[in-house]
Amino acid sequence: MPAADTGAAVSRRSVLKGALLAGAAGAGGLATPGCRRDVEPPGPPVQDATGHLVWRNWSGLQHSYPVERASPDSEARVVEMLKTAPVPIRPVGAGHSFTALVPTAGTLVTLDGLTGLVGHDAATRQATFRAGTRLGDIGPALAAIGQEMPNLPDINKQSLGGALGTGTHGTGQGFKALHGDVVALRIATPKGVIVECDATRDAHIFHAARVGLGAFGIVTQVTLQNAALTRVRKRVEIRKADDVMTEWPTLVTQHRNVEFFILPFTGLAAVITVDETTEPLHPRGPDVDTEVLMDLKRLRDWTGFFPPLRRWVAQMALAGQHAEEAIDEGWKLLSNERPVRFNEMEYHLPFDAQMPALREVVATIERHRSDVFFPIEARVIAPDDAWLSPFHGRASGSIAVHAYYQDEHAFFFELIEPIFRRYDGRPHWGKLNSLKAADFATLYPRWADACAVRASLDPEGRMLNPYLRAVFGA
Amino acid sequence: MGRVVLVIVGAMLAAGCLSSDPPSGSPEALRRAQSMVPADTRLAGLYAQSCKQCHTLADSGAPLTGDRTAWTPRWAKGVPTLLQSTVNGLGGMPAGGQCFGCSAADYEALIHFMADR
Repeated sequence: MPAADTGAAVSRRSVLKGALLAGAAGAGGLATPGCRRDVEPPGPPVQDATGHLVWRNWSGLQHSYPVERASPDSEARVVEMLKTAPVPIRPVGAGHSFTALVPTAGTLVTLDGLTGLVGHDAATRQATFRAGTRLGDIGPALAAIGQEMPNLPDINKQSLGGALGTGTHGTGQGFKALHGDVVALRIATPKGVIVECDATRDAHIFHAARVGLGAFGIVTQVTLQNAALTRVRKRVEIRKADDVMTEWPTLVTQHRNVEFFILPFTGLAAVITVDETTEPLHPRGPDVDTEVLMDLKRLRDWTGFFPPLRRWVAQMALAGQHAEEAIDEGWKLLSNERPVRFNEMEYHLPFDAQMPALREVVATIERHRSDVFFPIEARVIAPDDAWLSPFHGRASGSIAVHAYYQDEHAFFFELIEPIFRRYDGRPHWGKLNSLKAADFATLYPRWADACAVRASLDPEGRMLNPYLRAVFGA
Repeated sequence: MGRVVLVIVGAMLAAGCLSSDPPSGSPEALRRAQSMVPADTRLAGLYAQSCKQCHTLADSGAPLTGDRTAWTPRWAKGVPTLLQSTVNGLGGMPAGGQCFGCSAADYEALIHFMADR
C-alpha cells in the first residue's frame, strides 16, 4: 500500500498507533502486551554431517543440503551441468515458493549468472530476457526501451524463470498471468539438448513447459509480449469488507488492475486499484504497509482475546481514512517490498466462485483462528492455454491466506483448503497445498499430455525430487 | 563537569553524531549504498543478484550497504554469528540472503563488504 499522499499515510499510521494505545488502555489492563513473544523458529543445522551448507526457502519452511551448487554463466554450461551433475537437479530462482519444488540432495542450480536483456523488437513490443533476470530488474530494463509488463506480481524478487515455472500472476480482469504473455522459450532439456519452442515450433513442449515447475528442463531464455510503457495512478482505500466483496464483479470491470486485502477481525478491506493516466507524476512515498501490518499484529497480540475490542479499535483507527495515491510508471507501483516473512496458501477458483468462497474463508478464520492477523488477498486473472496453468481455460479469482513465519499454519490444510477444494480451486504451484497427481489429473484437462511430455524429456526423472515425484505420480 | 561532558560525548558517539559517516538510513546513506560495488568481479556478480536486492532499498528493512552506524550492533555479534544468521535467515532476512550460489567464504566476504569493515 503506497503512500504518495504523505499526509494521508502519516495519518493512517499514527491513527492506528493511537487507537492501539487507546484500545489497550480501554481494555483496562485486561490486555497483556507481550503475552505473545516473538520467537525465531529454530532453524536446521547450518551444515550437514558432510559439511554441505543448508539451503532454505524464503519463508524458512523448506530446506535441504545440496551436495553441489551450480551457477552456470552460459547456456553451454547449463547443458553440460544437466548431463553430469548429481541428481536430482533442481533450479532455484529467488526461493519464494513455499512448496517443496526446490529441495534437493543433489544439485541446486541458480541462474543468477544468466541475466539481462538479450534483445527486443520495438514494432511488436516483444523482448527476450535470460531466465535468471529478477522481475525487479526487468521493469527498468523494459522502461528504457518504452515497454512494460502490465501484470507484475506483488513481489518482484523472483527470477523470470522461477516466476513462470510456478504460474506467478498479477491482477486484472484483462491480464493473463506472466506465462500468458510468453511467446517463445529456450529450454535446456534434462538430456542436455537446447530446444527453441513457441506456439508453432515444438508446440507440445511450449504448452507443457511454459508453467513447468522446473521439471521439463531449465528455461534459459524467455521472449515476452509486452505493452507500451504507461503512467498509472495507484490508489489504496480502506473500505467496508462486505461492500467490497459485493461490488467485486463490478470493480474488476472498472479498473485496469484491482485487488483487495480483507483485514480479518476488522470488517474492513484495503482496495488497491491501478489505472492509466496522463496526470503529473506523484511518486510513491515511504512504505507504510509493513508498519500497518505489524500494527495489525500488535492489535492481535493485545486484543486477540476479545474480538469485539479488536474490531472496535481497528475501525476507530482505519475506517474513513483518506485514500492514498501515487502516479508513476506501472513497474514502480505494481510490486512492493515485503520484508515481513510469511507462509501462504493460495488457490485459483472459477471467478464466480471466488466471493462465496472468500466469505466462507473469512468466516472460518474469524470463528476458529483469532491468531490470524495477515490480510487475506483477492485477485483476478484472465484465462490462458498453458497446459499446467492454474488459469487454464477459465477466468479465475484467487484467494491467498497468509500466516506470519513464526506462527503455526496447519489451519491452511485443516480449515481453508477444504473450502477451496469444494469450489473447484486449483492451487498456486508455489504455494502450500496437499494435492497429489490424482488430484491434478482431475483439475487439469491436459494433465496427461503434460505428463507425457515430461516423461519423454526426462525419462530417468533426473529433475524430480520427492515432492515432484508425488506431483507427477512418477 | 568533566563527567557530564563525557556522558554527552558518549551519547553523541552512540548516536553517530561525531562520526563522519552519513546518518543511518539518510538519503546520503542510501545513495552511498546504491553506489558501492565489491571490488572482486565474481563477488560483485553474486552481490548484484542477491544482497543488493534488499540492502540498497530504503523500505526493505535491511541495513544499508556501507551504513556503518546501522551495522555496528550487528557487527558486535561477531562474523560467525552473522554468517549463521545469513545462512539460516533471521527476522526479515531470508535464508541465504537470496545468494544460492554462495559458499561460506563468499557470505563472509559479502558481510565484510556490506558492513564496510
